[in-house]
Amino acid sequence: MSETAASRCEVSFTVNGAARTVSVYPMERLLDVLRNSLGLTGAKEGCGEGECGSCSVLLNGELVNSCLVPVLQAQGAELCTIEGLTPDAGLHPVQQAFLTCGGAQCGICTPGMIMATVQLLRRHPTPTLEQVREGLGGNLCRCTGYTRIFHSVFEVAKTEAEKGGTVA
Amino acid sequence: MNALVGLEATPAGGVRVLVSSTDIGQGTNTILSQIAAEALGLEYDDVSMAPADTSTVPNSGPTVASRTAMIIGKIVHTAALKMRQTLTESGLLEPSAGREEFLAACQTYRQRFGELKCFSRYEAAPNIFWNDELYRGEAYPAYAWAVYIAEVTVDTNTYSVTIDDFVALQEIGKVLHPVLATGQIEGGVAQGIGFALYEKVVWNDGKMLNNQMTNYIMPTSEDLPPIRVFFEEMPYQYGPYGAKGIGELPMDGPAPAIVNAIVQATGTSFNAIPLLPEDIFRVLTAEPDRPAEDFFSALAAEGSQ
Ligand code: FES
Ligand code: FES
Repeated sequence: MSETAASRCEVSFTVNGAARTVSVYPMERLLDVLRNSLGLTGAKEGCGEGECGSCSVLLNGELVNSCLVPVLQAQGAELCTIEGLTPDAGLHPVQQAFLTCGGAQCGICTPGMIMATVQLLRRHPTPTLEQVREGLGGNLCRCTGYTRIFHSVFEVAKTEAEKGGTVA
Repeated sequence: MNALVGLEATPAGGVRVLVSSTDIGQGTNTILSQIAAEALGLEYDDVSMAPADTSTVPNSGPTVASRTAMIIGKIVHTAALKMRQTLTESGLLEPSAGREEFLAACQTYRQRFGELKCFSRYEAAPNIFWNDELYRGEAYPAYAWAVYIAEVTVDTNTYSVTIDDFVALQEIGKVLHPVLATGQIEGGVAQGIGFALYEKVVWNDGKMLNNQMTNYIMPTSEDLPPIRVFFEEMPYQYGPYGAKGIGELPMDGPAPAIVNAIVQATGTSFNAIPLLPEDIFRVLTAEPDRPAEDFFSALAAEGSQ
C-alpha cells in the first residue's frame, strides 16, 4: 500500500466523552475510522450502503449510519457509540432490557438497534407501538422478527418511567 | 450421524462443555449449559462453553437441521451423567451429593489424575438407521410439529398484502428456554413472511441481480404483524428432558399459510412465491386465454397497434 502523508488529514472529534484526533483520508468512512483506527468495534458493517443500520452511532445526538458518513463530516462533532453507552460496571438500561427480554439473537444488529432505541426514547420516552416500529425502521434484524425488540423497548420505557428518569 | 461431545472440569472450579456446535444466535450455548447444569446438579453459572475451536473441542457434527438441541443436547446430558458416574466410581462423590460436593470432587479428581474430561458419542434411538459412509438414512429420530395461521388483507387497488395477525403453535417436546424458544420462532416466522411476500431473488446468467439490501427487500420493524407464539409439549424420550428441534420449522410453514390466506381472500390460486404486488396484479388481471407471463408484452403490443 502506498500512502503519502500529504493525502491524509487530521480530524478531531469527541468519542464517548474523550477528545480524539485521527490521521485519516478525508473520505474514509466514519465506520472504518471507529473500528480500525480507534478500535471501537461495537458498530458493525452489515451492508455498507446505508440500508441496515447495524453501523448506527450518534453524531451530535442524531442517529446516523456511520458507513455513510465521510469522516471529515465528523470534524468537531460529538460521537457516541455503543461502547460509550455501556457504563464501567453493569449495563445501560437499554442493554439490560434487551438482555432480559431476548431482544438479541446473533447480535449483529444489536449495537445499532440499541443506539436507535436510545434515540427513539429520547424523542418519545413512552412510545406507542407505531413510534417504536418507525423509530427502529432503519435497523434491520434477521433473527428476532422484532417482537422481542419491541418488548425490550417497552420494558426499558416502563422501568425508566417508574424510576422517574429518561434514557440519557 | 457421528457426533462426539465432551465435558471437563475447569481449573477455575466450574465445568466446561466441549462441542463444535456453534451458537449463531439460536441460543444453543445457553441451552447446552442449562442441560449440563441440570444433569450435574449445578447452577447455570457454574457451566461455561469452550470456544467452538476444533483444536479444543471434539467434532460434534454440523450445526444444521435443528439438531443441536435434540441431538447434541442429549449427548451433553449423557456426558454429564458419565461425569458424575466417573466421580462416584472413583469414590470421590456420593451418588446423592449436591453442588458443592460435586465441584469439590471435580477439583480433587483433577489434583489426583491431572484432568477430568468425559466424552459421550451419539447413539441412535431404537429403530433409527443412518449410514455415515453413504450419508443416507434417518439422520434424525423425531421432528417438531406446528400449525401456522395467517390473517391477511389484500388491497385490490395496490395489490399489496398486509398480514394482520399471525399465530404459530409448535409442539417441540419440551421448551428448554421460553424466551429463546419463542424468539427463535418469531424470527423464523419473520423470515417466512419475507419468503412469502418480499424476498424475490432475480437471477441473470447464474448471478443474483438484486444482491443489495436496497433491492432485495426483507421485512423491517414496520412490516411485520404481531407474531403470536404458542407451545405444546409432548416430551420426546430420546431428547434432552424431552426436547426436540425448533430452528427450521418456523421458516417452513408460514409461507404456505400466507399463500393459502391470499388464495382464500382472492378466490384465485397462486403457484409461486414471493407474492409481490406486481405478481398478484399479474395473476388477478390475467385474461383466461392469455398466459399470465405474457400480459405485459401483450399489453405493449396492443398499445402499439
Ligand atoms: S452498514 Fe451502515 S447501514 Fe448497513
Ligand atoms: S439479532 Fe441477528 S440480526 Fe438482529
